[in-house]
Amino acid sequence: MPFKRFTQANPLLTLGLVVAVWLLLPTALKTLARASFFELTAPVTLAASKVRDLQDFWALRARSRTELIEAGRDLARVNASFELAVQQNEELRAEVARLEELLRLPPLRDHRLEHARVARRDFSGWWQRIVIRKGRDHGIPAGAPVVFSGGVVGRVSEVHATTAVVELISSPTMRLAGVVEGDTRPISFQGGINPTLAPPRGVVELMPLDIIANPAAPKRLVTAGFGGVFPPGLTLGTIIRADLASDGLFKSGEVELDPRLGTLTEVSVLVPAPPAAAPVRPAP
Amino acid sequence: MRRVIILLLTQVLLWAVLAELNHGLAGWQLHVFGGALFVVYPALHLGRGEGLLVAGWAGLLCDAHAPVAFGTHGLLFAAAHLLLFRARERMPRHDPISQILVVLFTNLALFLGLSLLRLPVAPAPGGAWGRLLPDLLASQLTLAVVAVWFLALQDRLVRLGDAWAELRGHRG
Repeated sequence: MPFKRFTQANPLLTLGLVVAVWLLLPTALKTLARASFFELTAPVTLAASKVRDLQDFWALRARSRTELIEAGRDLARVNASFELAVQQNEELRAEVARLEELLRLPPLRDHRLEHARVARRDFSGWWQRIVIRKGRDHGIPAGAPVVFSGGVVGRVSEVHATTAVVELISSPTMRLAGVVEGDTRPISFQGGINPTLAPPRGVVELMPLDIIANPAAPKRLVTAGFGGVFPPGLTLGTIIRADLASDGLFKSGEVELDPRLGTLTEVSVLVPAPPAAAPVRPAP
Repeated sequence: MRRVIILLLTQVLLWAVLAELNHGLAGWQLHVFGGALFVVYPALHLGRGEGLLVAGWAGLLCDAHAPVAFGTHGLLFAAAHLLLFRARERMPRHDPISQILVVLFTNLALFLGLSLLRLPVAPAPGGAWGRLLPDLLASQLTLAVVAVWFLALQDRLVRLGDAWAELRGHRG
């Protein structure tokens, strides 16, 4: 029987055959095809993002000079407070370096900040991701943490030539270790179900029984720093509810994430800096 | 092949428009899924092989931008194409109301199919429907509004392509 007549007579069997062939295809081939399709449409994503930036630029040009002067004054105040924070930060860094030297501890992993514009947001009930306008060409590695002024944004899940995909902490597939601020015991955090017209949410599990959190007394959840991907102390969200889990040994609860996650326009990727050469110690 | 290329270009246009729409809706935690628009015209008006190629290509395009196993959308779209292709002789496929109904039912099936594949990874699979329902409603409303326009655009571009080829044939 000719192949054409077979496919016409048995369309569902043909589909089954296609599925079987697809499942048997080597993973490398599928990975290559996925990357090719992504790169094929990357110029569309980038062009749309740049057009949006241009729109914003022209909208800002329509602002009056008085508004610009006021914005400049506010910015100068913010800069002054940040300059103070930078000085304090340098002192703390020097203190950490001194203690590391004294206690002969391995140095904490350092990061370089790579700022990137958000080209596309994709917030469905199935996944929550953004595409940023920097990729392999800018030294962005897969798995790098992504942050913004409100705390953790997510983790780089795919890297392409000029773009990268970031999986947000609100995504149901995102899991990481956190601690309640001021506590050292790790808690499991997972992105959650994000209700429409409400801030994004996540869930926490394996929470110690003595930690009490409710809407009246919420607890700040920060990264634990375990695993070496996320530096410790970055804000994940606020635990607004904690109830006894079904096993009775731990609590589980709900975390409210930053509402700005849905409207991000710029983020920073923490690119791990190459390990510095070990200092030469003088022989005793 | 000319028709396939024209339809592939319209698929890229549709994908870009949906991506922009979803970018804007992200702040409201809302998402529009328009999978049926990639499938319906090729299934109703093209040959089986050509339609399958267009639907599969559109599926792979969607797969490249989604954290699912590569080929998930492709196979869902291909299955929808084959089912619609089998049923197309029994439906008034040139009537706009019928077209809208076909788009809405196909989109519902694709949305549910994808949801069932993705639900096991959600922290509370039962509660996930509370989010998916508004997404589904937004998707169906959007498609009810734009389906006739997009199918007409595809139809017009295919006809223009045919007329251009005919003209070239006469000149040749």
